[in-house]
Amino acid sequence: MAEPMELLCWGGDWDLPSVHTDSLIVLTYAKFSGAKLAVKSIDWTWRTITASVPQLHYEGSTVTEPTQILNFLRKQRFNADYELTAKQGADTMAYIALLEEKLRPALLHTFWVDTENYANLTRPWFTSHSPFPLNFFVPGRQASLALSRILLTKAESPLLNITEVEGKIYSEAKECLNLLSHRLGNFHFFFGDTPTSLDAFVFGHIAPLIKAPLPSGQLQKHLNQLDNLCQFCNAILKNYFNASAEKRTDCSPTTIHDPVDANLQKLTQLVNKESNLIEKMDDNLRSSPQHRPHRHESKPLALAGERNSTPHS
Amino acid sequence: MSLAAEAFVSQIAAAEPWPENATLYQPLKEDQILLSDSASSLAVQTFLRMCGLPVLVSCRANAEYMSPSGKVPFIHVGNQVVSELGLIVQFTKAKGHSLSDGLDDVQRAEMKAYMELVNNMLLTAELYIQWCDDYTATEISRPRYSSPYSWPLNHILAYQKQWEVRRKMNAIGWSGKSLEQVYEDVSQCCQALSQRLGTQPYFFNKQPTELDALVFGHLFTILTTQLTNDELAEKVKSYTNLLSFCHRIEQAYFKEHDRESQSGSSRHSKGSLP
Repeated sequence: MAEPMELLCWGGDWDLPSVHTDSLIVLTYAKFSGAKLAVKSIDWTWRTITASVPQLHYEGSTVTEPTQILNFLRKQRFNADYELTAKQGADTMAYIALLEEKLRPALLHTFWVDTENYANLTRPWFTSHSPFPLNFFVPGRQASLALSRILLTKAESPLLNITEVEGKIYSEAKECLNLLSHRLGNFHFFFGDTPTSLDAFVFGHIAPLIKAPLPSGQLQKHLNQLDNLCQFCNAILKNYFNASAEKRTDCSPTTIHDPVDANLQKLTQLVNKESNLIEKMDDNLRSSPQHRPHRHESKPLALAGERNSTPHS
Repeated sequence: MSLAAEAFVSQIAAAEPWPENATLYQPLKEDQILLSDSASSLAVQTFLRMCGLPVLVSCRANAEYMSPSGKVPFIHVGNQVVSELGLIVQFTKAKGHSLSDGLDDVQRAEMKAYMELVNNMLLTAELYIQWCDDYTATEISRPRYSSPYSWPLNHILAYQKQWEVRRKMNAIGWSGKSLEQVYEDVSQCCQALSQRLGTQPYFFNKQPTELDALVFGHLFTILTTQLTNDELAEKVKSYTNLLSFCHRIEQAYFKEHDRESQSGSSRHSKGSLP
């Protein structure tokens, strides 16, 4: 292999080598398997809108999509899954499917659809990392792609509104995180002591969630309660991307603002929450006569008693 | 359903025992039902049989529109209507029947992961082959899907469904895949299932769980449905332990059912396993 393999990906921030989940997966796997990659970030180039990231260039051929890139690396004899049994290999596929189905929609929502996060974190970051005039288009395009993906895969006919889908996807994501935590237990990695592709996938998904300073992050709070996943993430950062991981010793998202700004932020958040609550109350008042389940949910026990007493047909 | 409504339903569900007249609705078996719907329906039927709960199967042309979530099959039990295997499993659990109680947390995590694998790979591949492959869509899917309706409604509904499915494939990134890549994905999924099953009778050793029902539903339907070519069935047949798994479940749970309903094999279904 005369020339090194070249990887195009989004740049890094918040102690991570890349803020983009798929790029992070590939970077982590490369570290695990010992592949030397020449990492080229697409920030501030026209590739932010033309390229589908991550992209691996090698001897004229181009590979996209994390699973394809990992297969390609395996063919080049960079295999981190060498010691897995057949059953563990099957488990890897199953857990990756679980991540994609349950966790990815909630991650997309947290970063791209949730208005507070999008306006205060995601859009400014991607805007500042794209060249003029693309900075007007890139974040909006990603956000609409994320929203359409969530709605098309998760929204069934009674749940056509994004707000109703939210509840469902966040509860599924929390369940998925709990399942991952149970599976990891007290081990360092998912299959014993050596990292594998499943570890790369899990790291790629949860690392941005742990490290990003999200203004409104209920999923982040849930993840912070799962200590073993936080430690897993920090251990990988320390051992494989050792640069700035020493700064962070705990896994709570730290804000670097001084106290005055923090208070102002809290005040604005409270005001936002209040106005959201008032809007929701307004909606409820408007729709309550037709919206029967709300009336039922306040007295389930009484109704259960009624049903028991009536004869069944 | 919103979370509060779901909690309410399970509370109400817990109050009544399973009635005798529970019904499962699916599209018409001979003319209308497609591969993916047939697979989901068989999975639910298998699950209910494994729990020992009686259910009548009723075929309706408008089953998709009757369903609360737009997906078939759905069951009508007492006063509730529940669709999709995941929700039905929750519902039966609230009634006190569960197949996965004996599993510990790690095993339950594995079971859920494998169910997602089947849904993610097999179901999506089935939908892709039916609606995104032009030849299959024109020859089989569109005519079958719209068979109960007259012109021009049949054309409108068929194209609408096709457009919907293609949009979804686009959103999850499958529209760039070729048919060979999809077959390859199915093969990998079967390989993973085969390796997980190994030589055990069921996926979690002695007891069948909802994962077994789901896998059986999909694999049996793939093996017994006639598409434009047999490549999908060939991919599954190359894993012998999966074949014997399907035989075993068919023998155990569908012996009488087999003789009654699948003796008259239709153009679409080849009847019992080869």
